[in-house]
Amino acid sequence: MSIQDIRAVPVTGPAMEVPMMPTAVQAGFPSPALDFVHESINLQEHLVYDPPATFIARVSGDSMVGAGISHGDQLLIHKGTRPRDGDVVIAVLDGQFTVKRLRLTGTGVRLEAANPEYPDIEVPELSELSIWGVAYMCLHGLR
Amino acid sequence: MSKHLLALVDVNSFYVSCERAFDPTLEGRPVLVLSNNDGCAVAMSAEAKELGITVGAPWFKLAPNAQRHGLVARSSNYELYGDMSHRFLQVIGEHSHEVEKYSIDEAFAGYGGPLQGAGPWAERIRRDIAERLSLPVGIGVGATKTLAKLANLAAKRVPGMRGVCVWDGLDAEYRDWVMSRLPVQQIWGVGPRSAKKLAAHGVTTAAALRDADAQFVRRLLGVTMMRTVLELRGQPCIQLEEEREFRDSLVFSRSFSTPVSTREIMAQVMASYAQRACTRLNSRSTEAKTLTAWAMTSQFNSAAEDSPSATLSLPAPTNDPVLLTRAAQALLPRMTEGTRYTKAGITLTDLSPRGAQPAFDLFAEPQQDKGIGPLLQQVREKSGTDAIGMGRGGMRTAAEWEMRREMMSPRYTTRWQEMLEVHAR
Repeated sequence: MSIQDIRAVPVTGPAMEVPMMPTAVQAGFPSPALDFVHESINLQEHLVYDPPATFIARVSGDSMVGAGISHGDQLLIHKGTRPRDGDVVIAVLDGQFTVKRLRLTGTGVRLEAANPEYPDIEVPELSELSIWGVAYMCLHGLR
Repeated sequence: MSKHLLALVDVNSFYVSCERAFDPTLEGRPVLVLSNNDGCAVAMSAEAKELGITVGAPWFKLAPNAQRHGLVARSSNYELYGDMSHRFLQVIGEHSHEVEKYSIDEAFAGYGGPLQGAGPWAERIRRDIAERLSLPVGIGVGATKTLAKLANLAAKRVPGMRGVCVWDGLDAEYRDWVMSRLPVQQIWGVGPRSAKKLAAHGVTTAAALRDADAQFVRRLLGVTMMRTVLELRGQPCIQLEEEREFRDSLVFSRSFSTPVSTREIMAQVMASYAQRACTRLNSRSTEAKTLTAWAMTSQFNSAAEDSPSATLSLPAPTNDPVLLTRAAQALLPRMTEGTRYTKAGITLTDLSPRGAQPAFDLFAEPQQDKGIGPLLQQVREKSGTDAIGMGRGGMRTAAEWEMRREMMSPRYTTRWQEMLEVHAR
């Protein structure tokens, strides 16, 4: 594994704050420094592609460890996007939000755990399944 | 031919739908959302309506039989509803360049295009909100706001329409039929008092109001009602108001679970509310020039009715919580010791964007930016609303007068600690 690209991310102050250009300067000279204002990387902008339809959820349990999703991790979930074969989805099973990997096979639909201790679930058709959203990123703390 | 039409998009049982979006076990069950202090039902699902429950029904009367009916109650979770409302508007904004927020769960949106395209356009909005937010909406489209509202009613009540109705797309005979059956008081802008006056002149249905003499209606009920008549005929009179850049007032108010009757406790209330209002000022990057602190007794307590208030003009626009907290104490001398106040609030007006005060106002003393407001806000975001406060607002535990919300769902979308839990089992 190699790291391709390292960038500074601000660690102090509110993460969403972006230096703004004062658009209406009421008095005085415009500062020449304005030409050099660059916005800090805004994590929100890069991790959330569809703000109104993005939700975050905390994972409870270890059935997805094989997919790199551990107990206590946070998942970024995109609602309303069409789930594809291989997606990690949030399915509604017995009234509970459950994380599984979706498999669309020739014979039906399978919800797979990523841990041999948990069984897969077979469903004849996708329409019989209630998929709340597709998880597209996992925040996994390292310390 | 291109037409300019307006859509009224509203969420069905908005509060309940927000609760259901994050809790699948509520699907298909009767669900209630309770008022401040868990007093009475303020919103309910269709299933709860079928049980005969109406808005205002007191929870203590329903609670004993709740389990038998599978009835579920939730305390109002205004943070969740507010956030979902914002997302709802964002999605509509992707489909229209003109959007007017009309209330927490309703918005007008403009459409320009061929009439035949209006139905599919509205259907796309409906599906998009259902899929991306899990919120069920109804959409009415018409040439005027009044007709859009009317079409929205039809979309919900006429079974075949499945939530979308384009008024101009219906044939004239059918529109007449709907209007002749719609009671006049169900038209947007017609209150019960106006409906009574109209009825005295034989105007009892939407069709009758549309066909009434506009000048006669103007003499009877004023120019606003005349506009309603013209709007029913398809002539736009009420413009779309897009959101103003700066809202010019901010209110932070709450009902108490236990009435407050002493100056000592009211001082705590004011300190706490002033600081929370200040947090809101900061989150909008605004400053206030005027503060009004107010309190009121219950509307059911006519014997000792009292609604004291004090308005202060601040020396300069400020978001300084020290100054605002001190200003809010101005209410205390105005209140009557021993009177049972049930609600209080802070209203900040004369708002301006932060740092926008005129450069040459020599008399305005620039506030020292001590950075206290943003600091308080950061601590609250990290550790909860009650973790820090100034002066009397800094009480560690929730005070007795704080609102009761015992059945509140997590604030899934606004609090990191309360985010949705998904199971990997």
